[in-house]
Amino acid sequence: MAVNPKKLRPYDTPTRRRVPLIPDGPDAAATVFLVAAIVWLVAATGIGVLWAGMQLFPDLLSLTLSVPTFSGTLEIVMSPATIGAGFWNAVVFGWLSNAGLGAILFITPRVLGQRLVGEQVGAAAAGLWNVGMLAGLTAIYVPSIAATGTLAEFPLPVDAVLLLALLLVNDVFWRTGMSARERAPYASVWFFGVALLGFTVLYAVGTLVPLVSDGTTFAALVGAAYARGLETVWVLGVAFGVLYYIVPRATGNALHSSGVALLGWLTWAVLAALAPLAALVDSSVPFALTQAGNAATIMLVVPAFLAIANLLLSLRGRWTLLLSPGTVQYAMVALAFLATTALLEALSALGSVRDLIGGTEWTVGVRFFAFFGATTFALLALTDHAFPRLLRRDWGGTIVTTATLWATFAGTAISGLALIAGGVVHGSLLQGGAAPEEIEATLFWANAVAGSGLGLVALGGLAAALNVFLMYTDGRRAEYAVGATAAASASAGQ
Amino acid sequence: MTVHTPIDSRTSGVPAWALAFTVIVLLAGGAYFGTNLGGENASASGTPEPSGGGFNAVAIMDAAGCQACHGPDLAGVAIFPSLLGVKDGPVSENLAQLFADYPDTWAELWIAGTDPATSDAAMRAGMPAFAGPPYSLSPEEIAAVVAYLKTLP
Repeated sequence: MAVNPKKLRPYDTPTRRRVPLIPDGPDAAATVFLVAAIVWLVAATGIGVLWAGMQLFPDLLSLTLSVPTFSGTLEIVMSPATIGAGFWNAVVFGWLSNAGLGAILFITPRVLGQRLVGEQVGAAAAGLWNVGMLAGLTAIYVPSIAATGTLAEFPLPVDAVLLLALLLVNDVFWRTGMSARERAPYASVWFFGVALLGFTVLYAVGTLVPLVSDGTTFAALVGAAYARGLETVWVLGVAFGVLYYIVPRATGNALHSSGVALLGWLTWAVLAALAPLAALVDSSVPFALTQAGNAATIMLVVPAFLAIANLLLSLRGRWTLLLSPGTVQYAMVALAFLATTALLEALSALGSVRDLIGGTEWTVGVRFFAFFGATTFALLALTDHAFPRLLRRDWGGTIVTTATLWATFAGTAISGLALIAGGVVHGSLLQGGAAPEEIEATLFWANAVAGSGLGLVALGGLAAALNVFLMYTDGRRAEYAVGATAAASASAGQ
Repeated sequence: MTVHTPIDSRTSGVPAWALAFTVIVLLAGGAYFGTNLGGENASASGTPEPSGGGFNAVAIMDAAGCQACHGPDLAGVAIFPSLLGVKDGPVSENLAQLFADYPDTWAELWIAGTDPATSDAAMRAGMPAFAGPPYSLSPEEIAAVVAYLKTLP
């Protein structure tokens, strides 16, 4: 029966639907993480452009500001050291980790057939993570409160907030897994489980060890292994998990072989945990232990190439998807960078190569391929697939998607190659006993080219953010129905 | 509502090509490990070991971010001077007077921050990063760093 609102008495007024402070709807946690990730991609690459400029003109761009406070003066330092630290932290913990955690919370319920247990807890974790990130990134520029160590510059209270957020995501992930009706979870969940647990343990170790033994050889070695572990366990694990989900889903094909996926997961889980041992370079560490890390780094080509072969074979009959901008194109670029990174890492682990390029720009170049190539493209593929489902709108068009892909691809390739070539030249000049002035002059151009590449990556990040903004404000409303096949989704304009 | 469309797989076994590839690469990695055990790790704290109550100069410099400005090999980058060759005195002209006044302790003074009366703010703040704590180092840590730098060619 229809109700005339004018005849309602005050006590008849329908209760208003209360909007919770922390969203609890389906996919709320994944949405917060993924939207924040896109914002961090823009921020991180913007800081990166500034950092690249500082490599070339440090005297022009460095500055120190004194801000008066109640308890004295606070120094804000913009130097190559602080800007560089800000860049890498924003990339790893801002962009890659937000997108990685969002990917885990988006994919896990979909492959387990089980709604996320604790959606609100996940959304709270997303809020905590990003508040912590903002505070941590600000603290890096205030040396009086920042901590020290690669990817460990956040002060202790910020580390505590980030660790709490990670524990909350673990809680949601594992409770969802335990209550799933799927007895044999899909490959992506195996990768996410190890990556998430590994990330949490690594972050806890990276936070606690400097507290008990700061400035010692032990702390320095643990810090180096921690930074390397973040790359092999967390960043690489997320890339594998996402790619194993996104390729079959976007093509509508079955995965070629779950046995190959299991073999790849087993080898990755063991080797990714061993590879950071290669960072333990000190006379107090048995040489065999360091070499075990180098051998594990070489052997990491196994899970990489098993994943590449498995996913390429899964594309059978759907090759035409490579021609249309979007999820599959992003995923294929990610696989190409994954192959390149695995081979370059293996090469870097060889003793004779290490002697030449150790401590040079080569390492940064390979890291560019890993972070901005393999993992960023895997996560861009995920966002391309996920945002229409999260925001219930279609992408507006293909121009901005194409711009995102090409700017990010060209920028990553240019930066990575320039730094790798610069590293080889740097190592050769050092071995030849070149004067510092000669090395500096030679590397100026490599750094300039790498900086311009990073500028292109920043443009790609801006295009990605613009694409999401246009979709949200102007995109056609669309529902991705339960049980819709990916092929149907693809034809609906994803 | 959660979309649940399970992802199937065409086969659950491991094809021979995948197994062969895995075994070959693991054997190659194992062979590399087995044939390269003869070496020895270099000291992370430089050679010779710096004195100073077990402090590790390289670890301290790494944590303080010295290489970010002075380069990974400490040979200097752009306006940031080389730290090589300081065993014979400062390589930067702006430290010449400090060296003349304090020939034995100029490096420690420079890292710690010079006389408060000095007019140049950067020189007054000292190293590293022209900033105060926690990047500033304790006297023992500074001694370890200076001892290490003086071993460099």
